[in-house]
Amino acid sequence: MSDDSKGETKKEGCAGCDCGGGGGAGGSLPPVAQQDARRGFMFKFGAGLLGIGGILAAVPIVGYIIGPARSRYRNEWVDLGVTTLYPSGQTRFATFLNPIRQPTDGDAAKTACWVRCVEAGKFQVFAINCAHLGCPVRWFEQSKLFMCPCHGGVYYQDGTRAAGPPPRGLFEYKWKVEGGKLLIDAGRLPGLEESV
Amino acid sequence: MNREALIQIVKQPVQWIEDRTGVIAFSTPLLSHHVPRSAKWWYVFGSATLMFFTIQIVTGVCLGTMYAPSASNAWESLRYIDEEIPLGWMLRALHGWSSSAMVVMMAIHMLQVFMHGSFKFPRELNWITGVFLLLTVLALAFTGQVMRWDQDAYWGLGIGAAIVDRVPVFGDQMRALMLGGPIIGGETLNRFFALHVFILPGAAIGLVGVHMALIMKNGISEMPKPGEIVVPSTYRKGFEERMEKSGVPFFPDAAQRDMVFCGVCLILLVFLAAYYGPFGPGGMPDPTLINTNPRPDYPFMWIFGAVSLLPPASETAIMLISPVVGIVILVAVPFLSNSGERAPSRRPGMMLLAVFVVMAIVALTWEGVTSPWSPVMDGWSALPTPTQFVKGRTPLQMQGAVVFQYAQCRNCHELGGFGGKRGPALDEIATRMSPDQIVRQVQQGGGNMPAFGKNLNSAQMTAIVGFLSTLRPENEADSSIPGAQLPLPIKSPLVVNSPFTGTGVPAEISAGVSSR
Amino acid sequence: MKLRMSRFLSCLSILAFLGCDRMPGKPQEATPIVIGSPAWTQSTFNTNCRGCHSQGAEGAAIPLIDAGYWKVATDAQVIQVLEQGQGVLMPSYLDSNGGPLSSDQIAAFVKGMRTLWGDGSSGGQGGISGTVVAGNASAGSQVFASACASCHAAGGSAGSVTDPMYLKLISNQGLWSAVVYGRAALGSPAWNQPMPKHPNGLTPTEVADVVCWIAQSRPMSSANAQVNSIPKDKNVSDSK
Repeated sequence: MSDDSKGETKKEGCAGCDCGGGGGAGGSLPPVAQQDARRGFMFKFGAGLLGIGGILAAVPIVGYIIGPARSRYRNEWVDLGVTTLYPSGQTRFATFLNPIRQPTDGDAAKTACWVRCVEAGKFQVFAINCAHLGCPVRWFEQSKLFMCPCHGGVYYQDGTRAAGPPPRGLFEYKWKVEGGKLLIDAGRLPGLEESV
Repeated sequence: MNREALIQIVKQPVQWIEDRTGVIAFSTPLLSHHVPRSAKWWYVFGSATLMFFTIQIVTGVCLGTMYAPSASNAWESLRYIDEEIPLGWMLRALHGWSSSAMVVMMAIHMLQVFMHGSFKFPRELNWITGVFLLLTVLALAFTGQVMRWDQDAYWGLGIGAAIVDRVPVFGDQMRALMLGGPIIGGETLNRFFALHVFILPGAAIGLVGVHMALIMKNGISEMPKPGEIVVPSTYRKGFEERMEKSGVPFFPDAAQRDMVFCGVCLILLVFLAAYYGPFGPGGMPDPTLINTNPRPDYPFMWIFGAVSLLPPASETAIMLISPVVGIVILVAVPFLSNSGERAPSRRPGMMLLAVFVVMAIVALTWEGVTSPWSPVMDGWSALPTPTQFVKGRTPLQMQGAVVFQYAQCRNCHELGGFGGKRGPALDEIATRMSPDQIVRQVQQGGGNMPAFGKNLNSAQMTAIVGFLSTLRPENEADSSIPGAQLPLPIKSPLVVNSPFTGTGVPAEISAGVSSR
Repeated sequence: MKLRMSRFLSCLSILAFLGCDRMPGKPQEATPIVIGSPAWTQSTFNTNCRGCHSQGAEGAAIPLIDAGYWKVATDAQVIQVLEQGQGVLMPSYLDSNGGPLSSDQIAAFVKGMRTLWGDGSSGGQGGISGTVVAGNASAGSQVFASACASCHAAGGSAGSVTDPMYLKLISNQGLWSAVVYGRAALGSPAWNQPMPKHPNGLTPTEVADVVCWIAQSRPMSSANAQVNSIPKDKNVSDSK
């Protein structure tokens, strides 16, 4: 097989063939013309078959790898507990299990957020991730600021940027109150491309 | 048994193997090829990098027998390797320290090649494969950090995801591709595991092979001499003649230096690993435990430092474009200058560039380690107001000192050398700002300080400004009235049994003040 | 040479296989954190309290690393402060108020602090209550004039304690504690220690009276010295 292809390459036109060492070994006898024609067909046929097979094999492999980028992950409404857990005028830490999770996620499926009750029945729910590079922000009740430990992003209590490198305010979850419970629309890791 | 018979016993199977495989015929030229006589201690770093890479493969395979590549128990399996498996911690320590050593050796090797101009004709591809090896090794280091699957790994992935997310149009898809889904979870770890143990080591082995083959093809470059100019049309002929005439065989003449250096490195590695132990794992990878200060490993600290110093407006562009530009420039180096002088003394511009790059990376790494922009998250509740700043204050000023802690000022401002470095140290603030200016600054913020106006009532504001107005060295005027000497009363209360009654300034006060 | 080398190598390998697991680099097995243990108490204190309540002349609020404090204060009083907060500046540390500690942890923490820094008593031994006792304001006025005014009157050398801004920031309990504990390291005597113009210190009744009087000079609504704390500033206006 390799001899065949070498002979083919040599004949097809890489005349000088001093570009690579491969041709140098082709010290085989000059092929008979008849054989040569058959080999030419065989080579093209083989290359075509290999190409088709390769594409057929590549489709599932590539599809498997880029699968996550094509999937449409849907957020779901997540229960953060009764609204009385979140007193008016205060900002509280809340955690939930991510509705989009896999069996092997372990602790990584846990998610945290900050719930601010602006007044009774009116909430702001902030993602834990700093809008700069995603580190977990912490709430400071006394100065009414969120601070980020990574690059010093600081936000006011309403989530607007106060200082530091973040390009925008904190990401907010959509929320609703149903049956006395606070629900948020959560799942995907928040990012700049879209609000959570 | 006599000597002759022994030799015969050894010789026969060796000859048999050589006959069937040709291994000696193949490897003899590898070992005996001539290298420049001038190739001395500068040339050991590449070999050391290769040695550390070998250590990585061996220890990595060993760790692969115990590590559980699953987000739900990777962290526990590392703790188990550290604590229960005999010498498991040592294997992890060797793998971790050898990884750092490999990055360091590689950087020195690259710097040496750059400074000696060894990338010039005909060794352009040696350099380019080296650049890709560098990228592969850095990728191995990053994915290795992810394998620890601790808090730093989790939030480090978060930082990576946030950077990828900033890619225009496709950011979302690329982030999903990187994380293996919409969140950092089980699929993320397994993706990085596949990269770390299959794809990247495979790529590295292949690249090392090409790199070595190119060394055999093009030879080891000579030490540069001023005036010995690389002319592509005549270089090969001259080089081969010089090797023929004055070269020495690689083995043992040059290899002995490699052996000495690698031996020293190896012994140091074992001692480092035995003494300092493995890296991490840090806290559990539970994203609801937010009392954490995520930091990357050292090879990436300079990037961590750089992204905090970028202006927000151009940040995204710089974060996304500069890596591409950097790689393109690195690859282009041998094409931008592939002939001419190689000696550092004749290439001052290049030397300045190298020094600048090294200094920039060192400085950014230092910035990343100290992170002066990061608030000290528990500064307000953990760092006591130093004695010299509470002594002799009025009750209102004392309450001001409490407000100063209460309002988390300390998270960003130092007092007595402790506290955040985000804002200026306030030990002598009263010499720089009048009370009115302090009020305005605290209320309105500005200069990267949040506005506190809404969160401090008038009494708190009065108290904190009263306190801050006392922060200045003894005997120095406050700045409320320019030119006037009106020091606020900072003196010990006249109390009969006070240990500080009397004249003069207590030692701590003057010491604390003069040390700033 | 060869012999020495091999001996060295075998020593090294024996060391490696037997001694390696006792090298300094071996990670310590994680010791579980025991709530209430001295180590836990100390680290909880260092992270959450030390900024204001330190020891000696350090820190701006009452030191807790101080046997004198634990002699007077009872566990119940300290727990009450930690759970409910105190006045304007002492936040609540109870988890249901957004703090870091559960009710059980607070109880264990207070017990742990008493073990670390107390004098063995269970509090309430200082000859005076740790919490505010009702007093007589007009009597307190006279106590203030004779015992306190020399240093603490308006413009006094140690600073006024009737400054309205000061009184807005300190609760009645805060005033009580300031008088009772003092700050010896900063030159302020405790309640029963000799004072510049009052060499015998105060009696518990005098403390109650003078705190009542000072509290009444507060410009805000609280004319009643019994009020344990002043209302928090409800300043949560929203910028949106």
